[in-house]
Amino acid sequence: MHNIPFEAANFIDLNLMNILYLFIVGFIGGLVSGFIGSGGAFVLTPAMMSLGVPGLVAVASNMCHKFPKALVGAIKRAKYGQVDVKLGIIFGIFAEAGVFYGANIQEKIKAAFGDAGSNLYVSVAFVLVLAVVGGLVLRDAVRTYRSGNADAEEKVAQLAQWVQSINIPGTMVYFKSLKARVSVLFIIPLGFATGMLAATIAVGGFIGVPSMIYVLGAPSLMGSATELVVAFVMGLGGSFKYALHGLVDIRLAGIILAGSLFGIQLGAIGTTYVKPFVIKLVMGVIMVIVLFSRGLMVPVYLSQLGLIQTLTDTTVKILKNTSFAIMAFALLTGAFIVLQAMYKGHKAERQMAEKEAMEIA
Amino acid sequence: MAQNYEKLKKKPVGKMIAYGIASVGLYAALLLNQSSITALFTRGAWYAALPIATAFAISFIHGGFTSYFWSVLGVEATKKSLRTRPEEKRSYDRERPQPQPRLRARV
Repeated sequence: MHNIPFEAANFIDLNLMNILYLFIVGFIGGLVSGFIGSGGAFVLTPAMMSLGVPGLVAVASNMCHKFPKALVGAIKRAKYGQVDVKLGIIFGIFAEAGVFYGANIQEKIKAAFGDAGSNLYVSVAFVLVLAVVGGLVLRDAVRTYRSGNADAEEKVAQLAQWVQSINIPGTMVYFKSLKARVSVLFIIPLGFATGMLAATIAVGGFIGVPSMIYVLGAPSLMGSATELVVAFVMGLGGSFKYALHGLVDIRLAGIILAGSLFGIQLGAIGTTYVKPFVIKLVMGVIMVIVLFSRGLMVPVYLSQLGLIQTLTDTTVKILKNTSFAIMAFALLTGAFIVLQAMYKGHKAERQMAEKEAMEIA
Repeated sequence: MAQNYEKLKKKPVGKMIAYGIASVGLYAALLLNQSSITALFTRGAWYAALPIATAFAISFIHGGFTSYFWSVLGVEATKKSLRTRPEEKRSYDRERPQPQPRLRARV
């Protein structure tokens, strides 16, 4: 972050097409974030960079759009009784520590191995985390759907039962989302890992939400809503850090927010129409598709580091474009599932209301 | 006709318009003065508070507008989600292990 004035001087000129593009990407990202608690941000940094925004400015502006968006989403979902503020703030504080540590690691890797090394580290983190966590979440969602118990209340995972049964005096806190007391010592590594992932791939929720569900025992709706509080805490700290160095382009953050605040309200409303497993389904589907997107980029960075045979410029270009297209496809797929589930839920409710009205008449 | 009027009256049209005007004003101020705002907001140090405060202002003003916008369009949460739910016990796959009291005798 030493050549910051140079980076800041590279703020792009905005035209109508750029504004519309960012607004639409922001809307879709917001829709997904409002529904699963996170996941919309990962496509925004590359989207801004594709317009010529320098990497650090894109990351900083993305971060600065994230915390107000998360705030609006958290307030909306709190109205539906889905947010555990206490868990979100405690989780968020440790996540913030993880963000700073993760950013520090990133800087060291960049200093030692250059941009290609840093990008390889990010892609490998993407692939590993998304393969393991995304696979588990998707498997669970599919199992619930196939079991025919999609309407039943979610069961607390065995790992979470064990975590809730451990009593470490002086560290126990009651959380309404878990309806149990859990030691803060379990939240520290989970929050830290969430922050580290956020600093690495811009979406900490891919660890945050599953860990709240499967390790702490929160229901999917509450886990995904509470992640918005975590994202707010993380985003606020991160934005301030970047703003101190003059890296935030408030125009970009503002335009993305213009779209994403429409999206996040819609996504939050959508959670009230769906069965809990749909949240896991959307999250799992996005994670698995993004996994392929980042996996495609691994050979590019390996080649840039000289670890495999050098790839031609055409091959690199094809891989990069395909990777971005798959990432956008992941987000669109998530948005499609959300909108479809909302439509079905809305239709079912309307039919029920009509039926009730007929019976009364 | 009267029913439609009642329906419309219940919707927060006035609030949506008020927040919408404020939101347009905020974005117009931001985009019409972009060069001076960008120069001021990227000075770093204490000036870091400016983009953060602006982001909060957008979240309040534009966030309010978007919320009322969907309400006016009739896109609202399902009614059952707004009903107060009694505290109920979560179900578990198996019985939760209870901490066992242990006696340790030293000989």
